[in-house]
Amino acid sequence: MMELLELTRELCALPGISGEEGKVAEYITNCIKDCCEYKIDLLGNILAWKKGKNPAGKKLLLNAHMDEVGFTVCFINSDGTLRVHPVGGVDAAVVVGRRVLVGEKLLPGVVGTTPIHLMDAAARDKGVKMDDLYIDIGVDSKEEAEKLVSLGDSVTFEPGFEAFGEGYLMGKALDDRAGCAMLIKLIQSELPYDCMFAFTVQEEIGCVGAKAAAYTLQPDLSIIVETTTAGDLAGVAESKKVCALNKGPVIPFMDRGTVYDREMYARAHRISREKGIACQTKEGVYGGTEGRSIQTAAGGAKVLAVSLPCRYLHSPSCVLAQQDMQEELKLLEYLIEEFAK
Amino acid sequence: MNLEQIVQRLCAAPGLSGREDDARAAAMNILEELELGNCSVTPLGSLICRSNMGGERPVMLEAHLDQVGMVVTRVEEGFLHVANCGGIDRRLLPAQRVTVHTASGPRACVVASTPPHLKGDDEGPAKWEDILIDTGYSAEEAGEIFAPGDTITPQAGFVNLQGSRISSPALDDRAGCAAVLWAAKLLKEAGYNRPLVLALCSFEELGGQGAATAAFAEAPRCCYAVDVSFAAASGIPEAKCGKLAQGPMVGVAPIMNREMTQVMLAIAKENGILTQLEVMGGSTGTDADKIVSAVGGIPTALLSIPQRNMHTPVEVVDLQDIENTARLMALAVMGGDR
Repeated sequence: MMELLELTRELCALPGISGEEGKVAEYITNCIKDCCEYKIDLLGNILAWKKGKNPAGKKLLLNAHMDEVGFTVCFINSDGTLRVHPVGGVDAAVVVGRRVLVGEKLLPGVVGTTPIHLMDAAARDKGVKMDDLYIDIGVDSKEEAEKLVSLGDSVTFEPGFEAFGEGYLMGKALDDRAGCAMLIKLIQSELPYDCMFAFTVQEEIGCVGAKAAAYTLQPDLSIIVETTTAGDLAGVAESKKVCALNKGPVIPFMDRGTVYDREMYARAHRISREKGIACQTKEGVYGGTEGRSIQTAAGGAKVLAVSLPCRYLHSPSCVLAQQDMQEELKLLEYLIEEFAK
Repeated sequence: MNLEQIVQRLCAAPGLSGREDDARAAAMNILEELELGNCSVTPLGSLICRSNMGGERPVMLEAHLDQVGMVVTRVEEGFLHVANCGGIDRRLLPAQRVTVHTASGPRACVVASTPPHLKGDDEGPAKWEDILIDTGYSAEEAGEIFAPGDTITPQAGFVNLQGSRISSPALDDRAGCAAVLWAAKLLKEAGYNRPLVLALCSFEELGGQGAATAAFAEAPRCCYAVDVSFAAASGIPEAKCGKLAQGPMVGVAPIMNREMTQVMLAIAKENGILTQLEVMGGSTGTDADKIVSAVGGIPTALLSIPQRNMHTPVEVVDLQDIENTARLMALAVMGGDR
């Protein structure tokens, strides 16, 4: 069976903006098809039922989202360059000067900009706006571009997955393919209790898939397996770091979308202490997860998030620590034992 | 070896101003494989390749070898503080992949991007003093691996876009270097037997010191310099630009030799080579400015390859323009009066 690192590398290489998760879903179903029952729902979520050694006392759901942030082609300029609209929250600053892949054929393109020589001092100090950006695929007219690209085609960052430094990874789409990889490993392993899994669509544009998946599965308890912003850069005050790499998975009490179940939060932190697995909380209320949608689906569910601390989220170079992934995978096994019994 | 392969090999080798070693080695290998002459290196690191020497002073074909980038100024908590080396657009840095060239070899790193919760609403790009490179190492390890003075180049590699468009960092001015090498190959194939010097010069991005000294040392009778210049693209004033795939932009400026330029344009017309004019009011902002006044004065013409996204990791040129620049230079060397 494939190692966690290789699995993550292959998942991150796949293009899959919100609404275009087909290739990711196909890859995941190939990984899990012999290990569980599953179906793909009308929105494209993968819903999976995994038999454990024992029947579950509580219906536990673990979920991770398959989609990544990216762009959609919204206009073709007369000079053959493409205007794009972001799909999910992307800072224009991490897009300009980058390479991208366009449409089904994955045509290489570059995101162009005005050379620094032709900008005055004021322009050099102004942030890049999404409206300033255009993609150059190497054609000179709208007609040529139209033969290759259609409005609505998806645009993703070039994969460029890479291990670097002391056990760190960088790549696009680690949010949340890293989560998908961990769920695949859990499904491929032997679990103590029956468990449900959901690989969801369209998280980045408002947790669309999770709402439908949670309604269908109606869990008692749910663990959202995600990535979360780490601000642990040199010179950043401790009070602003929020969480840090290599300190284990992040289990927050609250973020901008969800107040997590107090009891699940306490039990999860206790388990990590008892089992000697590094774990941290989020020292600040920022960001959000699918917790908000699962919490309120159908009659409601108790939710917990277990996230990988990740630098430069939503960029072509998300950075996380391999050790945190290993620790999180171990912790998730224990949490299944704790919460599904 | 075709022209595209030459460009690709030249672009794959890093060469920040003053640290052109790898780029120079790549160019030297190509010159030797193509048997284009005898190579030597100047004290400032420019690569010189001479052929058919003796008798009259040589013609010089020149392009610059160096590229823009950054240098490490300080190592802190596993991150690197940096300064620019040449004109770098800070707006493009967040999450950019880079290679840091350390004493123990190249290391893949990434420029840190300020997390949203630490960023104001309408904040511009980070100032140089606030830009950090994430090494992926602990404070202790990073302190041992990285050191002030290490150079940094963008990691984005070479890619073919549609048609003959290509994109890579350092096409400014490896595209020009490729044109010089290709012109020399064309001259050799045509049996050109007069003295010829190829100069791939250091330090252009910091002021042209490599070209000034190479021109002094080689004292050519005239020089054709090749650089890149702005190609039209969205958001750029049309009047300041050439166009991709419309041929070399021939420099018309008081500092350029008018006769050489006129002869070259006539030769282009006779041979059906597309050209565009790039008119400048005084000097050109290229190595040509330094070459003109070297020794007792060197008549110089400038050809620029149109380029988009100059000084970014995604510089774009058209291979046809490189080829036409090389052809025109070779024809001008053979057919010009000088």
